[in-house]
Amino acid sequence: MAEKAESAPDETGPDEQLASLRAILAGPERRHLAALQDRLDDLDVRARDVGEVLPQALLRHAHDPAVARALTPAVERAVTSSVRRNPKPLADALFPIMGPAIRKAVAASLAGMIESLNRTLEHAFSRQSIHWRLEALRTGKSFAEVVLLKTLLFRVEQVLLIDRNTGLLLQHAHTGAAGMKDADMVSGMLTAIRDFVQDSFRASGDVSAHDALESLKVGDLAVWIEPGPHAILAAVIRGSAPRDFRRVLQRTVETIHLEFGEALESFDGDASTLDGSVSILEDCLQTEYRADDRKGHSRAAWVLAAVALLAFLAWAVMAYRTGAREARYLAALRAEPGITVVSTTHEHGKFVVSGLRDPRARDPHALLAGTGMEGSDVLGRWAPYYALEPSLVLARVTDVLQPPDGTTLVLNDGVLSATGTPPIAWVGEARRLAPLVPGVTTFDAAAALDTSTRAVISRIERRTFLFAKGAPNLASGQDEILRGAAQDVRELDALAEASGLRFRLDVMGHTDADGPAESNLPLSRARADVVHAAIGRDASGRLEIVIEGVGSRVPVVLSQNEVDKQQNRRVTIRVIRPAR
Amino acid sequence: MIQKKICMLGAFAVGKTSLVARYVSSMFSDKYLSTVGVKIDKKPLSVDGQDLTLMLWDIAGQDDYQTVQPSHLRGMSGYLLVADGTRRMTLEVARQLQVKATAVAGPVPFILLLNKADLAAEWEIDEPGLIKLVEQGWRVVRTSAKTGEGVESAFQLLARAMIGGPR
Repeated sequence: MAEKAESAPDETGPDEQLASLRAILAGPERRHLAALQDRLDDLDVRARDVGEVLPQALLRHAHDPAVARALTPAVERAVTSSVRRNPKPLADALFPIMGPAIRKAVAASLAGMIESLNRTLEHAFSRQSIHWRLEALRTGKSFAEVVLLKTLLFRVEQVLLIDRNTGLLLQHAHTGAAGMKDADMVSGMLTAIRDFVQDSFRASGDVSAHDALESLKVGDLAVWIEPGPHAILAAVIRGSAPRDFRRVLQRTVETIHLEFGEALESFDGDASTLDGSVSILEDCLQTEYRADDRKGHSRAAWVLAAVALLAFLAWAVMAYRTGAREARYLAALRAEPGITVVSTTHEHGKFVVSGLRDPRARDPHALLAGTGMEGSDVLGRWAPYYALEPSLVLARVTDVLQPPDGTTLVLNDGVLSATGTPPIAWVGEARRLAPLVPGVTTFDAAAALDTSTRAVISRIERRTFLFAKGAPNLASGQDEILRGAAQDVRELDALAEASGLRFRLDVMGHTDADGPAESNLPLSRARADVVHAAIGRDASGRLEIVIEGVGSRVPVVLSQNEVDKQQNRRVTIRVIRPAR
Repeated sequence: MIQKKICMLGAFAVGKTSLVARYVSSMFSDKYLSTVGVKIDKKPLSVDGQDLTLMLWDIAGQDDYQTVQPSHLRGMSGYLLVADGTRRMTLEVARQLQVKATAVAGPVPFILLLNKADLAAEWEIDEPGLIKLVEQGWRVVRTSAKTGEGVESAFQLLARAMIGGPR
């Protein structure tokens, strides 16, 4: 049975048998192969496959320099093309980095400026500074620069990165002012000298093959040389750097070889591949100053600042006091009638006040008292004018009118009046002249006239004219009284004229109680006639004189002795004012 | 900016230094030659529109007492061999220096300058000898420190050879 089954294939051809054998033995593998072939032929599938493993591969080989090398050109081209097409996305992406970087650079530059300024200030007034200024003048350097150099402990002025093989200058960093002109020639020469020294002493057997020139010293300058496998670092140092600084140079050489190893190895004259190393070199440009000197000078700076502050304070106090004095003087001037300040200024240290001054106002210099100012501090420029302040107007009008004793002028709102009992002639004159004086509008005579009128009336009414017994004859000594009364009546007449008033004078005759009333009445009237004749002769129409005889009806005294009877034989005058 | 180190080699007193003096910028005095054995000058030039700076190592002349330090030749991209046309012996020295230079720096481009071309009457070097050198691949330029003949073109030739050919 088994034999039959085995022999069955023999009935077909050998090729077909082989094919079926192959199908039996390798069938599954062939199908796998075909599937694999399909996958390889299908671009989409391959792309998908590679896409799946690519991130993994990149992650695993991230530290392989070959990966970076392979990616660099493509990434560079991609970035370049992206920027050309639309720079905005990249600018946006870089923005967070650029801002702080720019700020840092600006801050560093500002700090440098302030450092230099501080140093100059600290040393600007010291004893040494004169010496240094002379040196600055002699050498043509700026004073700030000389100060920097003198207080310098050390300063790394230049750092040169030199290709070890060719002596060509790879990169060069330097502090602002100290840039070397022909650093490329210097770097070549430095390499040559280094070789020269090494060759010279190696030949004598004093140094080993690994020893090399480490430093040069010329005057205040030293060159420290730190070799690396491909490049040499040379630092030009002013002053004396601490030994520790050697370690800084070593670290710098190491860093540069780490980051730019490949560029250094393949250097072929094009130093631009090492442009990125300048910032590393710049870290070597260190500067240190003498600490003790700075302290001393900073104390000097403090003293200077304190003196300046005190001087300023003194000046401020003086200025304040002067200002206060001037303000007091101005206030006094402004309060003074007849003085008007228009402007103030200062000329040659004097306080100049310009304005208007009434000739009757007080002397402005008299107002200095109590203000703290001296006459020599002040210069007044006054133009004359008529001030209308009441006190000045009053003084002016008083000068013009010359009021008689007992008469006082009063000014109220431009209206001048007089108190007392001025003569009527003066009142008329005052009424005419007063309005001509600036500041006086009118002269109100009423008050003065009223007072005078009342005085005259009182004088007239106070008088009593005594008569002889039984006759209309004035008793002895009465003529004098009658003349005075006539004078008063004339004055009353003038006052009436001046004030435009009218008066009635009642002249009343009296007798004593002797004799019968029928004879006494005519007698009393006759007596009144006598007085009327004496006083009414010149009276104008403004005075109405009424004569009356009342006999013995109105006695002064009631007793009947001779002395009292004489008191009753009399004439009296009453002045009646008209109703207004 | 591309920089290249080149050297100038030759026997003692073939006039190397005075030959290039007018064509380079210099900051070191000639006394370095007799002390350190080398003096470095700078020669900026432009080849086919490309700016180039040659750092020229002027190396003290070789004679019986002084030999060229190999360390000075290290890293050079090319060199000028200078011989005095009026002294046959200097060509022999140039030949030795060429061997030495090749040993240190490899087969870099070089040019033989036959100096003192202005003294043609006293010429000791014959044409056949030169032709043999040219056949070996040497490039020869006649120069004169006195007239300046050939100097600029020698720099140009060397620069072009260095940029074009392998280092």
